[in-house]
Amino acid sequence: MIIRTIAGAVALAISIAAGPGLAAEKKLAVGVADALTGGGAVYGLPQANAVKMAADEINAAGGIKVGADAYKIDVIAYDDKANPTEATNAVRKLIDRDGVKYVLGFCCSGSTSAVASFIAKEKAVMLVGNAAERSITTQKIPNLVRTRPPADYTGQAAGTFIARKGHKRVAVVGALEVGFYSQYVDAVEKELKKAGGEIVAREVFSLRDRDMTPQLTKIRALSPDALLVVGYVEPAAFVYRQSVELGINVPRYGFTSGSEEQFLRVTTSEQMEGVWDLRPTELTLLSASKNGIAYHENYARIFKASPSPSSPYAYDQLYALKAAIEAAGTVDNTEAVAKALRSLPVPPQVVMQYQPVDGKMFDENGQAYTSNGAFQWQKGKWVFVEDLPSDAKAYSLFLGTLK
Amino acid sequence: MLIEILQQTINGLAIGGVYVLIALGLTTVFGILGIAHFAHGSISMFGGYLTYFLMTGYGLPLIAAIPIALAAGVLLGALVEMLAYRPVRHANHINAFIVALGLTMMVEGINLQFFGHEQIVIPTTLSRVFDIKGVTVPELRLYVILSAILLVAAMMIFVEKTKTGQAIRAVAENRDAAILMGVNVTTIPLIVFGISTALGVAAGIMVGALFAIAPGIGEGLVVKGFAVLILGGLGSFPGAILGGTVLGITESIAAGFISSAYKDVIAFAVMIIVLLVRPQGLLGRAP
Amino acid sequence: MLGIRDLRVSYGAIEVIHGVSLDVAAGECVALIGANGAGKSSTLKAICGIVPVRAGSIQFEGRDITNQSGHAIVRAGITMCPEGRQVFPQMSVLQNLRMGAYTRTDKEQDDDLDRMMDMFPILRERQTQAAGKLSGGEQEMLAIARALMARPRICLFDEPSLGLAPKIVAGVFETLAKIKAMGMTILLVEQNSMMALNLADRAYLFEAGRIVMDGPAKELKSHPEVVRAYLGH
Repeated sequence: MIIRTIAGAVALAISIAAGPGLAAEKKLAVGVADALTGGGAVYGLPQANAVKMAADEINAAGGIKVGADAYKIDVIAYDDKANPTEATNAVRKLIDRDGVKYVLGFCCSGSTSAVASFIAKEKAVMLVGNAAERSITTQKIPNLVRTRPPADYTGQAAGTFIARKGHKRVAVVGALEVGFYSQYVDAVEKELKKAGGEIVAREVFSLRDRDMTPQLTKIRALSPDALLVVGYVEPAAFVYRQSVELGINVPRYGFTSGSEEQFLRVTTSEQMEGVWDLRPTELTLLSASKNGIAYHENYARIFKASPSPSSPYAYDQLYALKAAIEAAGTVDNTEAVAKALRSLPVPPQVVMQYQPVDGKMFDENGQAYTSNGAFQWQKGKWVFVEDLPSDAKAYSLFLGTLK
Repeated sequence: MLIEILQQTINGLAIGGVYVLIALGLTTVFGILGIAHFAHGSISMFGGYLTYFLMTGYGLPLIAAIPIALAAGVLLGALVEMLAYRPVRHANHINAFIVALGLTMMVEGINLQFFGHEQIVIPTTLSRVFDIKGVTVPELRLYVILSAILLVAAMMIFVEKTKTGQAIRAVAENRDAAILMGVNVTTIPLIVFGISTALGVAAGIMVGALFAIAPGIGEGLVVKGFAVLILGGLGSFPGAILGGTVLGITESIAAGFISSAYKDVIAFAVMIIVLLVRPQGLLGRAP
Repeated sequence: MLGIRDLRVSYGAIEVIHGVSLDVAAGECVALIGANGAGKSSTLKAICGIVPVRAGSIQFEGRDITNQSGHAIVRAGITMCPEGRQVFPQMSVLQNLRMGAYTRTDKEQDDDLDRMMDMFPILRERQTQAAGKLSGGEQEMLAIARALMARPRICLFDEPSLGLAPKIVAGVFETLAKIKAMGMTILLVEQNSMMALNLADRAYLFEAGRIVMDGPAKELKSHPEVVRAYLGH
């Protein structure tokens, strides 16, 4: 009896010491499935880091508040190697074994699509990050939202930009076997054609290719007036390097979202000079808001590396989730939380610059839109030059008409 | 069109040079010991990783890191012969085969453990580009091609003109007769593994500087290396040189004129066609 | 010069030489004759360190060379011209000859090369050709010249006439006679007993892994047993 009383007193003392006020402190496990190793890790690992960083910030600020309770976030991250099978296993493990209700991360389209195909049946909410394949948000999956806009949303804006520069013969080299990259190019082509231009070559490379000189030599022989490179950072960096080595002297546009660090591992700054990256206005210091600058500083301090430009997609997932849970007033009712996500205004802590549709961060497809930007490599840095003309509301309507 | 063909040939020469160096190592080892040394690619990549590590970890310039990596290659090759292959020297051939496979997995594991899964690119300052009447030759590729020619020439001179080199050939052609000439058949495999691995390390450095080294690249290269051996004719030095060059250029021309998606398929199709016409390989002797 | 005592050799579990003793003096030409499989070649291989000695000893110039490694035995001064020629087929004639001098470090190798090509003019003619392209007789000449390139103190010949046309065999034996006349110590294994006994000073007769008779070649040549079994007309 005495022992029990003492134990009770100790427990009470601990909870008073640890928790703010008198609210009972609880844990909320949040899962991350992302490419932590392999070719997709350039996108996935920074995303997983970003989620952990957001969790620490939220925990330090008192956690997620539901009624009288404050939930501290526990992040459980599994490596899906950007592989559909691994991703399915990782999410199954998170839901079935770890009892997780919220899964974040998802940098890469193949693995993400695999999980999206069954997530509707689960009592869970899936928040997709950098994966850009359009079909992920055309299926109206009620418990899935995505922070990154689909590739062709950006492609359309990019095509307009390239056409306005007056290019008529654009040669493409890219990871065109990947759906969303070819969707981007299709959207570019549509805009080019409107302006009387055309795509004169569609050359392919795969994630593991490092020698693109054969493709580029072929392109050189066609004398295009611009080069468009769409694909993963690592092969894309080799394309930029080898295009200089082959003396291809035309404006170069790209859709890669790689950081300076990632490119400079492969190329020299001179080889990158003047390259455009036409992509969602992600994280770069010059375009960054106050949140973006703080994010960059904190990330660099904690992980001893610059954050990849796309990593805030995952960071923002957690803040959106926090706001949705607080709005729904429950951590257990995932349906209510999923619903709250779709009627959420853009939370103030997010890093990316979202363009709300009808005042909401995610449209009825579960899709968020950021502005698109034209960035140019100038003397070793990506410089934000201008916003790309993009219309979130119109695209949202178009997306809603797709199956 | 002509410029395009010439350009694709130049493009293919650099990787062809890498194939030749890998294949020379494989063919020498195969000639002396009859071993399909599958771990060769992974050990070669270890050399590339080591060069990168010496440069980024110890701040050595490339020119200083290369000889250290090559010397490490010699040592490593000798160790592999002594510790892995010598114990199964007189056993059934399947034993050496299994040792080779196990060794490959082990070296790949070591590479992953020490150097991680991220791709690495050996940094160079060679970014000039020479333009010869419309055919561009990047400085780095030029040096890679020249180094490959130099190494192959050095290897040829070594084998043809030095006593040790002749002894290596003699052992490959007739081991018993070589013993009767007074050749020490215990040290020859050590030397062969040392030289072969150094050539492989050179290839690894070239791959790392031209492209990138990442897990799995070495295994891919060793498959290409054996393809070169079969294409050129097993055990033939000139065959390995011709085969490697042909494979590199074929890949490049196939990617440029047919489709980059089928680069490897086309290269192997060429190999199969050559073997249908000449089962002994390009320069192999008829059985 | 060369002394073998109670030599036993086995391949796996099967013993093929059951205690053989023989001697070769400096400058002598000794022939080992006998039927196929009597153990003559195995004796040579044991001397050269190609097959292991199970028991007994081999002394060369007062040194024990039993079970030494092959290359050490060559360095000691023993060279063998092997059965079936065993030239290096893809190497040139010249490279083959130079391989013969593999253990030498002196400066007179080129002179010796010249001498060999004087002795075998066909080798000079074909010096850049691959050895595998030579005829059987030419290969035998090459193998002999290659063995002499080592400047051995004793030269072992293992079945030099094997597989050659009779006319060529005669040429080979003329060559061996010339080498003998130069003062080379020779230990010859030969199935063509008549030719061997004509050339040799002394001979040992092998039967089933044992020596059953030995003596001056002339005596053996006229011994009725030998005549009946090996020189039969």
